Amino acid sequence: MRVNADVYVKDVPGQLVGSLEPISMVDGNIVGVVHHHEKVMNDRIGVNITFDVDGSDQLERLKAIWKERDVTISRLGSVVETYPVEYLFIGDITPSYLERLMADASEKAGLESVDLRYSSRVQSRKKAAMMLAKVRRPEDVQIIDRFFMQECQKAGILAVRGLGQ
Amino acid sequence: MTLKIVISGFGTVGQGVAEVLERKQDFIKRRFHRQVRIVAAFDSRSLAHDDGGLDPELLLERKSSSGMVGDPRPSDMCRFLRETEFDVLVEVSPTNIETGGDGLLFIREALNKGAHVITVNKGPLALHFRELNDLAKKKKVQLRFEGAVGGAMPIINLCKENFMGERILTIQGILNGTCNFILSRMDKGLPFGQALKEAQELGYAESDPSYDIDGIDSASKVAILANAVFDRDVTFSDVSVTGITAITEDAIALAGDQNMVIRLIGEVSPDKLEVAPRLIPKGHPLSLSGTLNMAQINTDLAGPITISGRGAGRIETASAIFSDLVAILEAERQ
Repeated sequence: MRVNADVYVKDVPGQLVGSLEPISMVDGNIVGVVHHHEKVMNDRIGVNITFDVDGSDQLERLKAIWKERDVTISRLGSVVETYPVEYLFIGDITPSYLERLMADASEKAGLESVDLRYSSRVQSRKKAAMMLAKVRRPEDVQIIDRFFMQECQKAGILAVRGLGQ
Repeated sequence: MTLKIVISGFGTVGQGVAEVLERKQDFIKRRFHRQVRIVAAFDSRSLAHDDGGLDPELLLERKSSSGMVGDPRPSDMCRFLRETEFDVLVEVSPTNIETGGDGLLFIREALNKGAHVITVNKGPLALHFRELNDLAKKKKVQLRFEGAVGGAMPIINLCKENFMGERILTIQGILNGTCNFILSRMDKGLPFGQALKEAQELGYAESDPSYDIDGIDSASKVAILANAVFDRDVTFSDVSVTGITAITEDAIALAGDQNMVIRLIGEVSPDKLEVAPRLIPKGHPLSLSGTLNMAQINTDLAGPITISGRGAGRIETASAIFSDLVAILEAERQ
């Protein structure tokens, strides 16, 4: 789940770190931080933070920790829930084939933040490629799965998928 | 009162059963005030039979010294079962996943005459589960098969008895120790061929390993779980099967870079029947290395429950058979 939040922290040294640290405490991942020195309210300055957390449980824990640490939440928005899809492709695959496969997959169901890694061993005809991506809807996980399985079967490629799919 | 047992198949598991029955006589007497006697034991060539009971130690000695459990057996063993008085058939003959083999005929014969059946023979269960289960119900006897999936890992009785009131959503598991050993060795950098050779040298894989590495063994267990736990009516051929022969060192390395391993996972749910290599995060229970079997059962109330155990072995499998025998004795006591 990607979250964008506006928070206000006391304008004293260490407070910015104090507002970011709880994100790591709930196993979240900070994507971006903008420190608004000009945005002052009741002697507090505004900070815009974008981060990823696994789900609403972690977000609730984070909100509780911020409250304990006197971090004021003014807005919590642009919440986008995402679902991971992980595939390992094994067979006679080329980078161009993979690019085409990813483009077609994106048309079927919007793939976000695609991370594609390709094995470099040149002497083997059996190449391997790993794809880590996210989709926005749970039903897209099934759409992507059906698509990859069909395409890989046609091409004689083995698709090894993640446990949660 | 004596409970009379016939052991069909006197290989590794059959011998383990004889040994365990000898070792557990006192427990049975103490708990159930009954005696358990082996009245017949047979393998593919020979038969030992005594209505008064056979000495398990002598059976084991004879098998060890001559390769035969008794005298040359009659060709029609179904007739022998029909004409012999016994209460429980322990059917542990070699599995035949294409037809069910002799084991299927023996199980049918025993159920038809009103005897309980305990089996670890996957062929008859993966191909004719519904027919055999219905026959057992009709004859008011028990058909038990704890050791058929996961050896000593108590998955079937756990799901059917302990989780009786729960809704089981999925079962995902490592159901073949040989494949898991090979994939674990590949994690350490061995190519597939070398890992397979090592498994064969250590006795984990047969000289023809296709039954394991092509996923056939796991698929037959998936079919048994689907029928027994999810009350489905499926056979081995309904399972989508992919083995591990196409897994390369590159693939293992790429998964490792992402802190993942590849494991052959059997998956059963109300709408899924599959055996396939899957990406498992390191640290997840199913990322287990070695020859153990492991399963994660996801239920509506208890959430995920993970169990593991030795998937094969003489005494380990016999322990699962013995647990089924105890369940039969317990039911008869009530």
